[in-house]
Amino acid sequence: MKNTIVQTKNLQKTYMLGKVPVEALRGVNLKVEKGDFVAILGPSGSGKSTLMNLIGALDKPTNGKVIINGVDLSTLNDNQLADLRKSIGFVFQFFNLIPRFDAKGNVELPMTIPGLGRSERRKRAEKLLDDVGLKDRMNHTPAELSGGERQRVAIARALANNPSFLLMDEPTGNIDSKTANEIMELVEKLNKENGVTTIMITHDQQIAGRAKRMVKMLDGEIIKEIKQL
Amino acid sequence: MKVNDIFSYAFGAIRLRKLRAGLTILGVVIGIAAIVALLSISQGLQASISGQLESGFATDTLIVTAGGLGSGIDGGIGAPDTGFRLLVNDTTFINELSADIELWTAIIQRSSYIESGENTLITTINGVVFEEYSEIYSNTFVAESGTISSTPGNEEIVAGKRVSDPWENGTLFCSVNDNVNVIWPNAAVRPPQNETYTGNVTAILQEIGGFGIGPSDSSTYIPLSQAQSFFDTDECEMIIVKLSNSDQATIDDVSEIITNAFNGQVSVISSTAVLSIVSTIFSTIELFLAGIAGISLLVAGIGIMNIMIVSLMERTREIGILKALGTKSRTVLAIFLSEAMIVGLIGSAIGVVSGWALATVASGFLGGGFSGVAPPGAPVSGGIAVTPVLTPVLILGAMAFGLIISIIFALYPAWRASKLKPVDALRYE
Ligand SMILES: Nc1ncnc2c1ncn2[C@@H]1O[C@H](COP(=O)(O)OP(=O)(O)OP(=O)(O)O)[C@@H](O)[C@H]1O
Ligand SMILES: [Mg+2]
Repeated sequence: MKNTIVQTKNLQKTYMLGKVPVEALRGVNLKVEKGDFVAILGPSGSGKSTLMNLIGALDKPTNGKVIINGVDLSTLNDNQLADLRKSIGFVFQFFNLIPRFDAKGNVELPMTIPGLGRSERRKRAEKLLDDVGLKDRMNHTPAELSGGERQRVAIARALANNPSFLLMDEPTGNIDSKTANEIMELVEKLNKENGVTTIMITHDQQIAGRAKRMVKMLDGEIIKEIKQL
Repeated sequence: MKVNDIFSYAFGAIRLRKLRAGLTILGVVIGIAAIVALLSISQGLQASISGQLESGFATDTLIVTAGGLGSGIDGGIGAPDTGFRLLVNDTTFINELSADIELWTAIIQRSSYIESGENTLITTINGVVFEEYSEIYSNTFVAESGTISSTPGNEEIVAGKRVSDPWENGTLFCSVNDNVNVIWPNAAVRPPQNETYTGNVTAILQEIGGFGIGPSDSSTYIPLSQAQSFFDTDECEMIIVKLSNSDQATIDDVSEIITNAFNGQVSVISSTAVLSIVSTIFSTIELFLAGIAGISLLVAGIGIMNIMIVSLMERTREIGILKALGTKSRTVLAIFLSEAMIVGLIGSAIGVVSGWALATVASGFLGGGFSGVAPPGAPVSGGIAVTPVLTPVLILGAMAFGLIISIIFALYPAWRASKLKPVDALRYE
């Protein structure tokens, strides 16, 4: 029996640009099961980031539903949404690390939110950074790290609170292809070995090809689903 | 987030911009320091004035002066001249008014010169009955050298400390046994002329310091009878009444009896009345000073608000990250308020210390100043030594005020930060 982590039902999002409505999503139906690795592929402006913001409970849909672990997000208030975000591991295109914290501090930060103790935080942050291959970069600040290294820190941070899934918006969008491959290897490994459910947005066909499933979007709609190896 | 995590997060954010935080803190420091300095000096001044009034003005005495229309110093000053004069003989009349009156004595006062050798000094000549006066002011009308005779001859003179030693440089104007000329510019005759007699200094008073309505360092005392004949008058400037006790009821009672007996033509001043006026005046002054200092703190508050709005814009993305990681709005609010609280707390603490330091330095100038700058020949009645008073109420009040101002002005920016929508905050460039 399958375990649905994320489900969207007829998801619509219309932005108002002044008086001009922009239909970024026009009814998206998507289902992500536990252990899945889904790549959402599409050209610029097709609504990928909009979809990610809705799935990540960062924004509210104009119409339709987002259901995470069986909970309809429209039934939650702001505080409950904040709590729900703790169970989502965000990875952004621009890393979004806190510049004044070192790698370890950045990984520790999400753990302060549920109120984990200091030594526990430290131990777990060290383990996570070790897992993503940054054992000897723990005390570097983001400015002292390469793009690939920053994205590894971001992945370690995303995993800090044992999220029920990783939500990545163009994780390789801002790094060169060689480093991008290394990041993808890490993500694949996390998915295969640790069973981390992953939703990844990209406009890079080759990167998307490494996922188990590929969902193609165009003009706010899913136009094609490809099951891969 | 745990409280200590919130604080350490806020502290980290402040430390990142040391100069900016320093300047914001400086604003609070100046405001609090101004409050503490002004209020502690003013409280010190009040304490020292009250103290000197108490010592220079025995609490069991009343002072009766002409020109009534009201009791107390406020009615006396500036009262219209009704032609009423207080006479030396009125003492006998006052005596019979109440059983609580123990002793009474009249004083004639004239501004005069005394001449000793080459030097001339301006002084207030007080015609007093030595025996009665020294009984009423037994703590202050005391000879340092020589003796105050209870049955003085007409030429006897008792000089205040600053009359004997006006320049405080080792050279004395006069000493015991010196003969001095008393010169009074008599303006009652035409043409005005100087009246003169030669007296003999028989006693120098010990230093009294400060001021009061009783004996003073810059006064000269001659027998009352001599004053009556020399100044050719039966009028006296005041009558001092010593009461059997210093209960407020007795003071009020006798004050009223005397005022009524003179048909409201006299003012009766008691030390408690003066003290209460002094304390009223100081409350007003303190309110005014606190208001001025408060304005500077208000400016500091606006500075905090300004800085926090800038910081809010700079950190919009950071707020977005925090929210994406699951931070609740109220935690974001708490982080921003903590930053203001840290600034307010550090600023207030430094402000209290530097305000206190400022007050101490400033009061050094104040205290030392008065007698130091007085020109020779015109001695004033000693300096007012002011020790700034820093009460726990003032310390805690100032700290709380600094903290509250900081928080109040941070409320709006903090609220705005907490209300940011995660998507908007993350998209912010
Ligand atoms: N806040 C907004 N206000 C108005 N229109 C918006 C807003 N955000 C996105 N859009 C519009 O919605 C559409 C989809 O945007 P979205 O960011 O989801 O695209 P994307 O697939 O992520 O593109 P890219 O690959 O360039 O990141 C675009 O046409 C965009 O202009
Ligand atoms: Mg996008």
